[in-house]
Amino acid sequence: MEPIQYVGEHLLPGKIGQFGIIAAFISALLASVGYFLAESRKSLPESEGWLKIGRGAFAVHGLSLFAVIGVMFYLMIRQYFEYQYVWSHVSEELPMKYIFSAFWEGQEGSFLLWMFWHVVLGLVLMFRAKTWEAPTLAVLSLIQAVVVSMILGIYLGFGEHAVKIGSNPLLLLRQTMDAPIFNNAEYLKLIKGNGLNPLLQNYWMTIHPPTLFLGFASTSIPFAFAIAGLWTRRHQEWLKPALPWALFSGAILGTGILMGGAWAYEALSFGGYWAWDPVENMSLVPWLTLIAGIHTNLVANQTGQSVRSAYVYYLLTFGLIVYSTFLTRSGVLGDTSVHAFTEMGLEWQLIFFLVLAFVGGYGLFFARYKGIPSPPKEEPLASREFWMFIGSLVLLFSAVIITASTSLPVFNKIVQFFNPAFQGRVITEPIAHYNKNQLYIGIFITLLSGLAQHLRYREWDWKKHLKRYSVHLGIALSLSFLLTYLTGLWIEVKAWQYWLLLYLGIFTVVSNTDYLIRFLQGNAKAAGSVLAHAGFGIMIVGVLASGLNKKIISNNPFIMEGLIEGADDEALRKNILLFKNSPTMMAGYELTYVHDTLNVYTRTYTVNFKRKDAQGKVVEEFDLHPNILYDKSFTKIAASNPSTKRYWNKDIFTHIASLATVEIDLEQRQAREDSLNYRPVGLIQGKKMSFLDTVRLDNPDTTLVRRYSLSLKAINRSVKHPDYRPEPGDLALSARIQVEREEEKEIFTAEPAIVLRNELMLSYPAQINELSARLRLTEDFLRQIVAFEEDLNYQNIALGVGEEKEILGIKIRFDGFNRQPVNPDYQAEEGDLPVGAQLSVMNAEGNRFSAEPVFLIRNGQAFDFKDMVEELGLHLRFPLLDPKTEKITLRVARSLEDGSAVPVDVATNSLRSDYIVLEAIEFPGINLFWLGSSLMMVGLAFSMGVRLSARKPKAA
Amino acid sequence: MKRIYLIGMLMIAVAIALLVNAAGDTSTYASFSDASAMGKKVKIAGQLSKDKKMVYNPEKDPNFFSFYIKDTKGQERQVILLGAKPQDFELSEQIVVTGEMKGDAFVATELLMKCPSKYKDEEIKIKGEAI
Repeated sequence: MEPIQYVGEHLLPGKIGQFGIIAAFISALLASVGYFLAESRKSLPESEGWLKIGRGAFAVHGLSLFAVIGVMFYLMIRQYFEYQYVWSHVSEELPMKYIFSAFWEGQEGSFLLWMFWHVVLGLVLMFRAKTWEAPTLAVLSLIQAVVVSMILGIYLGFGEHAVKIGSNPLLLLRQTMDAPIFNNAEYLKLIKGNGLNPLLQNYWMTIHPPTLFLGFASTSIPFAFAIAGLWTRRHQEWLKPALPWALFSGAILGTGILMGGAWAYEALSFGGYWAWDPVENMSLVPWLTLIAGIHTNLVANQTGQSVRSAYVYYLLTFGLIVYSTFLTRSGVLGDTSVHAFTEMGLEWQLIFFLVLAFVGGYGLFFARYKGIPSPPKEEPLASREFWMFIGSLVLLFSAVIITASTSLPVFNKIVQFFNPAFQGRVITEPIAHYNKNQLYIGIFITLLSGLAQHLRYREWDWKKHLKRYSVHLGIALSLSFLLTYLTGLWIEVKAWQYWLLLYLGIFTVVSNTDYLIRFLQGNAKAAGSVLAHAGFGIMIVGVLASGLNKKIISNNPFIMEGLIEGADDEALRKNILLFKNSPTMMAGYELTYVHDTLNVYTRTYTVNFKRKDAQGKVVEEFDLHPNILYDKSFTKIAASNPSTKRYWNKDIFTHIASLATVEIDLEQRQAREDSLNYRPVGLIQGKKMSFLDTVRLDNPDTTLVRRYSLSLKAINRSVKHPDYRPEPGDLALSARIQVEREEEKEIFTAEPAIVLRNELMLSYPAQINELSARLRLTEDFLRQIVAFEEDLNYQNIALGVGEEKEILGIKIRFDGFNRQPVNPDYQAEEGDLPVGAQLSVMNAEGNRFSAEPVFLIRNGQAFDFKDMVEELGLHLRFPLLDPKTEKITLRVARSLEDGSAVPVDVATNSLRSDYIVLEAIEFPGINLFWLGSSLMMVGLAFSMGVRLSARKPKAA
Repeated sequence: MKRIYLIGMLMIAVAIALLVNAAGDTSTYASFSDASAMGKKVKIAGQLSKDKKMVYNPEKDPNFFSFYIKDTKGQERQVILLGAKPQDFELSEQIVVTGEMKGDAFVATELLMKCPSKYKDEEIKIKGEAI
């Protein structure tokens, strides 16, 4: 078969991009080799040449990579759906502001983001690292080469044994799948993009991934410095330049993780900021070891101790980043995580990366182990370095425990490899499991954060300062005791472990504040540390307050009894049902679902909260606006976005857990509408029409008979229906109808509408919830009232001003002319001469109406615009005006006989669907969590700034 | 011996103790008969029985959702989730529920769905209606 010549494909940018990927890969390898030789032959004259090659290759690498990214963006912005990546992540409807999110939604895009940051950081290193440039960039370029290989997309070997290296983001759609549509040369005209997952269409998706990936990328730098230190045997010197990088990494990675938490809390309906999800865990763990590395790095800078530990931690941090990449991108996590990527066939490549990071790093470490300086004398027991070392060990311990639990799916896979019959194990209650262990680690870390700050490096003479320390610690400990007692009044603390953790968290804050005030006095270097540690203490208090006291306050007060036994289950019933405009009490608030608005795919609900005092006076009132996002076909909810009321001491978090099926799914709504038992009722203006409705009751076998009465109050051409959006050219009618039911005192009014738009007939039914009744207007209604112009039998009458004549059983009086007439069909133009005829109309029953048909002269031609009295089916035209006699000629027709009925459909089995199922959670003290954790990051960043400015040579 | 080795060994010992202890926090996916026999909280993985009735009437009780799943041994039981019906529930195939047996029904406190990916790569969306 001849190859098909496809029409409209843009193959050139793809080819440029493909070339860029290969160039990026080769130049990264070359840069690595160049820099490697520049370092290893440093004593030789050729070193300078290798350095130039390294730099040049790295620059080419950067350019190639930016070109690839540029091409990808170009393809995505131009919406070239022939490319698989564009097709998967972009759609015509996708707003431009989400183009970045769409770019890094996929695995390949996020690899590119990661590499982008590597290049940026590498360039900074190139200009700032001086003697460290060659060894660190040799390492970074090698890492870069490995990451580029993930998007290489080439096959090694032939036939069935071919091994795929990487997943290429620039493949064409028709290359990645086999579908009959590709037999069509013009297939491009037929396909449209999938677009970005609606859950990810928010600003968090724009800011969280770049921050997190900058955090990931930045861990490569301390790693590269550690390798460089081992390699060049400059075991002491690498520590100083590595420290600001590690602090930077700590701040950025930490911020990235926190953003993830904030996203989960603010925009997703997870109901919390941390859920010990495997993906969350595996971003936290490298941060923990990085912080351990920073502490041992500080110790090594100050005392020469712990150099080996600093190596171990920085090597481990990057290794864990790679392990985290492996877990989230290999598909091994499977169903245990909500946000892991799906399998892409990169497992073995990722394992290779992992082995390289660990074996490369630690292989070199052990080879050099003996040569790493380690003072024979142990740290004194009362010294700061000793306890910092212990603290970093505790952090490592925490990382190991979390990693072990998170790796359970990996363990399952390994065991299953040897014993296929093995049934995988899962953690039954992950949150409880992780909290249980990390609680004690928290106790240790808060204790150390509070105590160690007051200790000094190389403290051999403990006794000299004992008195001063005792006083300070004594004050801090007793003040914390008081504060803990007060906090205990505010939040409920359920066990002694929590009491202890709370006490120590407060102690950390107090002790660090004390340290800042008394010992610092302008020592900026330590301020960062104090900020970070006090922040940690505040965060712990926030975690305890919001985590332990997280309370679902939307318990339904109308629990169906007898369905489920056991009282503890009641706590699980966590949703409340709110009918529109029916106030419901919840946790001291009076909640009212007021209204909702639909904007494209987003339906936003307004829920009013009121708190009243004993006299019933409103003391507090606010609105929350949770929303839901429909999918494109309006058949399901793609996302439910929460809305949160923030107090200084607590948050009230709400989200929509469910809606009536007919509100979720347009098809269901149609099906429901079709299943309603509509009966036609003929209505005559001013007359009450009744019918008997019979309802079969399930049990006992009886029938309920009720009388309904309907009366037509008015017919309107200016339709006001909540779902109706007027468009030019619409022919719209609504009928105001009063409905009564026997034994129901109230009289209800409904106003269903019907609209003729081009060739479409749109019906807008009206619901009376109290009666479960639904009214709609049908085509017959429209036909009878409006009629087709050609079906009308017009008769002429002539009228002078003030004259009244009877025609077709109706009296018409001509009251006068109006030079500025208003008519829905008439739009004024420059030079128009319009005249309206003001008419009073009265039918046989004596009901009065008014009408104003319009006569128009435009450019010397005569036009006329009809007016109607809908209730009477009366059509009035004004085609002729005698300027001399001021007599007008009217054309009059009726589409409705006097006393004839207009049909309206009524259903009495229409259950209301205007309700929301709401979940509301109270998080006390959550602001302490955000404040404390942000302070930690600020402290890290501050420390970095202090160290960077200290390194700058002083101006002469 | 150096102090640090003592501390290191102590930590390793605690870590091992914790991990051994953690084995008690894990479980394999149980079957309904296991759940009846054990009488405690278990995880059950099963297939959603799409032919059986699903009940969710928020008008009556927004916290009662009932459906049927078939566990790995092929046993079919009613599952009651004390909560709202999750979105896209009908689309899911594999379901993991955490909870315990109460009489003949399994009362779940947590539910995890495995949906076939929202955007199936095999399906190519066609523009408009007309081809």
